[in-house]
Amino acid sequence: MFRAFDWQDLIPLLKGAWLTIQLCAVSGVLGIIFGVILGVARTSPSKIARWISTIYITCVRGIPILVIIFFIFFGVPLLFPGLELDKFVSAVIALTCFAAAYVAEIVRGSIESVPKGQSEAAEALGLNYWLKLRYVILPQATKIMVPPGVGFIIGLVKDSSLVTVTGLIELTHAGNIVTNLTGDPIKTFLVVAVMYFVICYGVSLLGRLYEKRTGIHVDPLKLPETAGV
Amino acid sequence: MIFVENLNKKYGPIHVLKGLDCHIREREVVCVIGPSGSGKSTFLRCMNGLETITSGSIVINKHRLDDSKSDINLVRQEAGMVFQHFNLFPHLSVIDNVMLAPLKVAKTSKAEARAKAETLLAKVGLEKKMNAFPGNLSGGQMQRVAIARALAMNPKIMLFDEPTSALDPEIVGEVLAVMKDLANEGMTMVVVTHEMGFAREVADRVLFMDEGLIVEEGTPEQIFSAPQNARTQGFLSKVL
Repeated sequence: MFRAFDWQDLIPLLKGAWLTIQLCAVSGVLGIIFGVILGVARTSPSKIARWISTIYITCVRGIPILVIIFFIFFGVPLLFPGLELDKFVSAVIALTCFAAAYVAEIVRGSIESVPKGQSEAAEALGLNYWLKLRYVILPQATKIMVPPGVGFIIGLVKDSSLVTVTGLIELTHAGNIVTNLTGDPIKTFLVVAVMYFVICYGVSLLGRLYEKRTGIHVDPLKLPETAGV
Repeated sequence: MIFVENLNKKYGPIHVLKGLDCHIREREVVCVIGPSGSGKSTFLRCMNGLETITSGSIVINKHRLDDSKSDINLVRQEAGMVFQHFNLFPHLSVIDNVMLAPLKVAKTSKAEARAKAETLLAKVGLEKKMNAFPGNLSGGQMQRVAIARALAMNPKIMLFDEPTSALDPEIVGEVLAVMKDLANEGMTMVVVTHEMGFAREVADRVLFMDEGLIVEEGTPEQIFSAPQNARTQGFLSKVL
């Protein structure tokens, strides 16, 4: 027997939303850390570093995220008997592997967007590769990578709903459970959608705040008029 | 101070520098002139390792640039470079641009690097713009900051790659004035330029390059008043 959707049903949904936030925050931060390392490796003078990062990025980008989730959750315990991964840890590993590859490409693109003259000027001053990267290239590349990076994290929040297949009770899974109890998918998933929207909008606001603080934000609603039009 | 011997540079099948030989002495100001595409900038960029040498050798203050064992960053600390498009770091203030290499490469103390940067910015007439960012400066001001930034590492040689080509005509003078002061102080300078007036007035020696070769060299008087080579004569008749 179904019962009507009521305010009590918000509690499991809010718990699911909180788990989604935790999942995306941890895998997002780890994905950014590994992504920056891979992205820098992809543009480094070392051939080996470039090869390793290129192979990783190409492989991961060519595999659906659901397959990565299944592989980590079901495959790893088979490959390493005795190793029992917690559902949350499995999800974090899968999302981090996925995020790192995409962040790496954003980092590579941003590094390559910094004008070549900047690199030459740094070299002409005697800065070695690491000093050049740390004090000249990455500070400029960071500003370029923020808008696509924020877009990717928003995508990651939505893609995190796929970990529902592992049984982890994140927001989508919580929505499913509530629907099974109430038989009211419209109200339930409307609330779930609003919760996803709030999380994504929060990420978007954080990105815009960073852009404003670093002076790179352009308000699309206040673009200057095109000359001559 | 700078010895260049049989310097060759190729980009794939294109032979850009065809066996250059040249010796630049301490405190000498050498201007390199010639038509576009003659290899002037490539020659200069080879001198601080921004371009790899295909064959031949360049020795700067006992450092061989073609020797893989020599530390290119040491050579670069001795040979400051100023670019056509300034290449200031836009995320750093004027003073931070000047202080970056002394702090991170030469490892001088912050107080010492700041004092030196302030002195250099005063020297190029920009002490009031210390905290400005490059985006808020005019082209002439940016180029003067770039000169101060290169001088901050106490280089023994200054390499200028068409330093006034990207500037409006009315502000070329302010950059040339700074360069003249440097020359008068005895700085060894190699200047790739289209400013014939500057070359005539300041250079000790002028090299005329065409098609990857030093076609003619001599004092400004010899080159500008009595060029011997037909290619030099043809070029100068167009630009003077």
